[in-house]
Amino acid sequence: MNTAANTPQSMQRVVLEASAQTGLLQIVSFRIGAEEFGLEILKVQEIIRVQDLTRVPNLPDFVEGVINLRGKVIPVIGLRRWFGLDQQSYDKNTRIIVVEVSGSVLGFIVDSVSEVLRIPADTVEPPPRIGKVERDYIAGVGRLDDRLLLLLNLDRLMTSSEVLQCEPAEA
Amino acid sequence: MTMNDELANDPTLIQEFVNEAQEGLQHLDEDLLSLEQAPDAMEMLDRIFRTVHTIKGTAGFLGFDQLVAVSHAAEDVLNSLRKGESVAGSEHIDTLLAAFDRIRVMINDIAHNAIVVYDLDELVVRLRSLLPETSGAEGGAQSAQEMLDAAVRAANARAAAEALSAESASGEAAPVETASATEESSAVPAGPAPAGRVVAATERITNMRVDVVKLDELVNLVGELVLQRNRLAELNRQHVEGRLHGSDFDDALGDAIARLSFVADELQGASLRTRMIPIDNVFRRFPRVVRDLAHSLGKQVKLVIRGAETELDKTMVEQIADPLVHLVRNALDHGVELPAVREARGKPAEGTVTLEALQKGDHIVVVITDDGNGIDPERIGKKAVEKGLVTADRLRSMSTHEIMDFIFLPGFSTAEKVNNVSGRGVGMDVVRTNLKSLNGSVTVESHLGLGSTFTLQLPLTLAVIPVLLVRISQETYALPLHSVVETVHALRRDLHDVDGSEVLRIGQRVLPFCRLERLFGLPDSTNDLMRVVILGIGEQRIALAVDQFLGQEQTVIKSLGSCLRRVPGIAGATISGDGRVRLIVDPAGLLGLVQNRHLGKFEVAV
Repeated sequence: MNTAANTPQSMQRVVLEASAQTGLLQIVSFRIGAEEFGLEILKVQEIIRVQDLTRVPNLPDFVEGVINLRGKVIPVIGLRRWFGLDQQSYDKNTRIIVVEVSGSVLGFIVDSVSEVLRIPADTVEPPPRIGKVERDYIAGVGRLDDRLLLLLNLDRLMTSSEVLQCEPAEA
Repeated sequence: MTMNDELANDPTLIQEFVNEAQEGLQHLDEDLLSLEQAPDAMEMLDRIFRTVHTIKGTAGFLGFDQLVAVSHAAEDVLNSLRKGESVAGSEHIDTLLAAFDRIRVMINDIAHNAIVVYDLDELVVRLRSLLPETSGAEGGAQSAQEMLDAAVRAANARAAAEALSAESASGEAAPVETASATEESSAVPAGPAPAGRVVAATERITNMRVDVVKLDELVNLVGELVLQRNRLAELNRQHVEGRLHGSDFDDALGDAIARLSFVADELQGASLRTRMIPIDNVFRRFPRVVRDLAHSLGKQVKLVIRGAETELDKTMVEQIADPLVHLVRNALDHGVELPAVREARGKPAEGTVTLEALQKGDHIVVVITDDGNGIDPERIGKKAVEKGLVTADRLRSMSTHEIMDFIFLPGFSTAEKVNNVSGRGVGMDVVRTNLKSLNGSVTVESHLGLGSTFTLQLPLTLAVIPVLLVRISQETYALPLHSVVETVHALRRDLHDVDGSEVLRIGQRVLPFCRLERLFGLPDSTNDLMRVVILGIGEQRIALAVDQFLGQEQTVIKSLGSCLRRVPGIAGATISGDGRVRLIVDPAGLLGLVQNRHLGKFEVAV
């Protein structure tokens, strides 16, 4: 746990410096419905296929369950449900994006993961009001040619929920 | 001197010193209190003296001068006691306890790589004042000189600390601050240190001694494990080469696996045993806690400790410390009466608090008993109605036991006055929460005017528990086996409705019935013949219908991830042989859910 947590952090420092120099953000892009979203690559631990989910009772429905990630139990959140979109059955493109937010590891179910993009930091604009997705959770809108990328603000996403009170993991 | 400095900066040497000193300090309070009982116990005195002397010696060598100043003064006092120049009275004991507390704080600082400069004058003067006249004058002169030296050396220490923190790998500056001992002691009048502070510093045990016999056992078993691996590899080779096939191979493989699982089980047991330490590690702080507290409450209390040699998992020992302290303080504050009151009631002026640990099967039971006031169920009931926790109607149908259980609800306190010992309404619920997080339970039994008994039940270890796997509405759940009292068959028509809550009648017994599928939002089960698991949480029973029993298993408990720390009714998760996550049901939580629902308070936590 410790070593795993340390490496991305030191990496983060290196890459942030690099991106500060080049002015480029590295983004993992994924789709939910018709919209394309982006997550900063440093937040992403890995991307896995959907596996057997174990439902946990008495939690809000956007917590789709827990999975076994190499011997560690992590909660998985359906972003569709979170955003209040219609539920859709999993298909071969459905992925779980495993992220680390304030010391907690958790997964997000997305319709599909597209690619890793580099976008110039100065093209990111502040979030406008968009449809059902709450503005709070969007850190900004990235522009790439004619595509619009909604950049998620994970920390906001997590702290806004009372159920997912992320405290630093106890080693 | 230069070689000395080099050695003094050796972190392993410092670590060793800290370990040694902490180990010694653990026994100091205890020994000192026994000394108070028997002031002429030379053996005890010698032991205390040696410990302090060792700390002083090593601290001097490593250049921890403040530590030397305090331990030196304490050593002088102890020495005069040894020589019979004075007799260990309560003033001696109080002052020495204060000195040991200070030493403990300093050792902790060293362990955390923080050098804090304390104002030690008052403490040293207090210690010196205990010395008989002649040596006292001498000591006074000596101390003036020493003070000067100490000041110079403290400045050096500060510089050294800064250097040390600059060097330290983390890059975080070690806190260098000046704390005033005078200030602290003036905030707390009278000799005894606040009991809470001494205990609140629950030091995490980072090093532990393991019996060599236990280690040998481990090494033997690992040897056996390697042999079994070789055996399997050999079987595989023979099978691949076609030398072994058919039923011969099946038999040989079956044998090898049986042998392997035996070794694995033994190894599991042996490695868990290395983590077991005597509960004495927690118990031994209580004589001090009780003494100080009784002192400040003006009560006379005798503490009886039994079963201190009972072993349990190291993490358990660490984590039951706080709940235990709370219960013992409660027993002293709310339980034991003032001497005059006791005598008026025909009891001996001195109250007795008993702390007892014993092993019961795969459980450890810790019992805290006092012979004081007892708890008045009527008052508890009244309070519960006042707080809207229960209706007066419902209260009438509740057993004394159920009513007593209210004291474990958050915010429930019957203490009329609030003091700094207990009665702030935080506490009993925290005790229960702590115990729950350890898969344990706490129950209370009380007789008005005769005293109360709190019983803590704890599993031997946290790491591995046996579970009963059951299927409920297509989902598989694990029930901790230690809570499973029995499994029976029952008919749906044996379900009855009492005051809006369901109960199950089995023979002569009537048990509260829990529909897990409803609590967990699953489709209702309608089988007419029900398989029922009866779960026991302390003295309470609850019946649970399941669709199928799937068998028993040893499981390793995992948390649901730090984000999902509290899911009502779920204790944690485990990973089954096929890699799926299975949820472990929390019987105590379940009981809470059922009771809340009965009280009309059940809500799905969102």
